Amino acid sequence: MNRLNGKTAVITGGATGIGRAAAKRFIDEGAFVFIFGRRQEALDAAVADLGPNVRAVKGSVSDEADLDRLYAAVKAERGALDVVFANAGAGSPLALGKITAEHIDETFDTNVKGTIFTVQKALPLMGKGGSIILTGSSAGTTGAPGMTAYSASKAAVRNLARTWAEDLKGTGIRVNVLSPGATATELAKAALGEEGQKVYAAMTPLQRMADPVEIGAAAAFLASSDSSFMTASEVAVDGGLAQL
Amino acid sequence: MKKLEGKIAVITGGSSGIGLATAKRFVEEGAQVVIFGRREKVLQEAAALIGRNVTTVVGDVSRLEDLDRLYATVKEKHSHIDILFANAGAGTVAPLAAATEAHFDQTFDVNVKGLFFTVQKALPIFKDGGSIILNSSVSNVMGLPAFSAYAASKAAVRSFSRSWTQELKDRKIRVNTMSPGAIETPALATTTGLTAEQAEQAVAQFAAQIPMGRRGKPEEIAAALTFLASDESSYVTGIDLAVDGGWAQV
Repeated sequence: MNRLNGKTAVITGGATGIGRAAAKRFIDEGAFVFIFGRRQEALDAAVADLGPNVRAVKGSVSDEADLDRLYAAVKAERGALDVVFANAGAGSPLALGKITAEHIDETFDTNVKGTIFTVQKALPLMGKGGSIILTGSSAGTTGAPGMTAYSASKAAVRNLARTWAEDLKGTGIRVNVLSPGATATELAKAALGEEGQKVYAAMTPLQRMADPVEIGAAAAFLASSDSSFMTASEVAVDGGLAQL
Repeated sequence: MKKLEGKIAVITGGSSGIGLATAKRFVEEGAQVVIFGRREKVLQEAAALIGRNVTTVVGDVSRLEDLDRLYATVKEKHSHIDILFANAGAGTVAPLAAATEAHFDQTFDVNVKGLFFTVQKALPIFKDGGSIILNSSVSNVMGLPAFSAYAASKAAVRSFSRSWTQELKDRKIRVNTMSPGAIETPALATTTGLTAEQAEQAVAQFAAQIPMGRRGKPEEIAAALTFLASDESSYVTGIDLAVDGGWAQV
């Protein structure tokens, strides 16, 4: 499968977890991938693993200057951009009654403002046939206790694709949301522990958490021309968690 | 690498439009395909177009004995099914004030009852871990004036995928709906009861309403269905995959 032959992709939050799995899959399908993340050590490890068709840029999606540096690097080496996987995101629980302004700002800065500028700043490099993928979440649809800020931010991301499908009308650039459910990334496994992982598996109709590779496969579908008539859609890759 | 190597797929309404394009793509991806439809001549032409690894069975999804014959043929030839695309469906124009009981019954007989038994009767030979895809429509969330029975029948189809995801989870069978928007198939001009002029007006209206500014091609639906049929979507179940150029999404 070489559906992404010759394509250039940017993946934010690309050093670990879902972003890393997508980077590996995109490269396997023939793409050249820029991964963007905050931790140099994690970026270095990813580059060592992913081989010659990857570049790493260190930065945070909530810092516009960092995003400018990312796209300057893409422009300098590749000239144009075909796929943006706006995947960087963060969330932590804080029950209603205990929510602070800092908690809201931090969550929305990364998940909403960060996603908006990740995409806006990519547009000058993109054209017909381009594909933008936003990482949503099953939490954007369901009520998850204690997850006010995260869930609301992911519901906002779901809407961005609806609005941008209209804003991008006539450009030939598509934009869709990929919404994972409980995914067994290293981070999630460490945060949930054995018991927590069992709880999420039991809640999910498929009775298990996702392998990040499965999210990467769906991202490759949305990045490729196999999804050429899809825009503003949400593809839930959640084992049925938010679907029933 | 082919995505459906060695898989056995059944497609109802497989002789034209979305069903035919999907049968063709599935064969290209390595599957053996059985197509089911009402018109023998059209089925034969479809089989000739697909060229290889295809079997035809003549029948109507709203007739249970025809479905029995379909699955008897599949069992004899392939012994099991890995992928079912329950695609046969129909909709005709009928404003609320003018719609007859026969119109309502016909719509629900094919789209709801026919689809229900298409899936039920496949289960005895369906392989655990396989993929069932139900053809719904953007009309499962959109109002379609003069097509209200059709739209409601497609909302019922979307509901089936929710219940059946739960019912079939122990067999690890994934059930999803795929909802096409306006697609360039012969159906709009030939089966809906619209006049040529009305069909032409509808096409222009669709293009204006759809963010992508055009109708989809059957091959684009087939590509999305290949994702749902294959292991590429191994963690996807219970969803409604809209392939509509953004029509019902904005």
